[in-house]
Amino acid sequence: MTKAQFDELIHPSTRLSLVATLAAADWAEFAFLKDRLQLSDSALSKQLTTLEEAGYVATERRLSGSRRKVRARLTSAGRDAFNGHIEALRAIVADAAAPAQEPPA
Amino acid sequence: MDNIVPEQARTALDAADRARRQVAEEVGLPRGYWWAMAAGWILLGVLGNVLPPWLAGVATVGFGVGHGVLAPRLLDGRRRTDRLQVSAAVAGRRTPLVVVGMLLGLIGVTVLVALALDADGAGHAGIWAAVLTAAVIGFGGPEMLRVLRRWARA
Repeated sequence: MTKAQFDELIHPSTRLSLVATLAAADWAEFAFLKDRLQLSDSALSKQLTTLEEAGYVATERRLSGSRRKVRARLTSAGRDAFNGHIEALRAIVADAAAPAQEPPA
Repeated sequence: MDNIVPEQARTALDAADRARRQVAEEVGLPRGYWWAMAAGWILLGVLGNVLPPWLAGVATVGFGVGHGVLAPRLLDGRRRTDRLQVSAAVAGRRTPLVVVGMLLGLIGVTVLVALALDADGAGHAGIWAAVLTAAVIGFGGPEMLRVLRRWARA
């Protein structure tokens, strides 16, 4: 079972969407991520670099015809961090939904 | 973590779920696969009409074998485009079953249409039935698969 662990690095909305997209895929190309997340080249590069430096994402450059394409994938550390973060978010929501405990008399 | 209120957590969970669903929508087969399948369908209809039954049977088996060789790589639906590969967990184990079930259903439709056309006295009933099914596969294959996946929750 995944341990709930809030992750400050993943939590910002753009980065969360990026990591969630990568978590649902084995790998994704830069162009796909750019389209889906509606980010500019530089904004996506910046987010990927941040995640790569944390060891959450790995990128590889491949030659496709005459064009160089970048693929990104989540590392196992990134996947663990994402799953832990989702569990932490669920715990926050569940705690809020749970009925308040009666204080002992 | 203390400064995250439940509403923010819920919004973040929704965003993560939306991203996952967007990837799940990428599950499917390449467009060329559907057109190749449609072409094969028409070819089989023509062969069934001009060849002796045993030879038409061999062609049908050949088509099935060819499909069987190609299918394992494609039927899981994870490589519809070359822009990403959907994870096995998101594609679901039922997607290949949905594709196979859909193809078996289309074979049934082809046979029924051919029988109906033949009973109506149409010439080359098998070919016309194959052309009709091929059009359905070529133009509507991806959409049909998407709807069937939703029904089967695959």
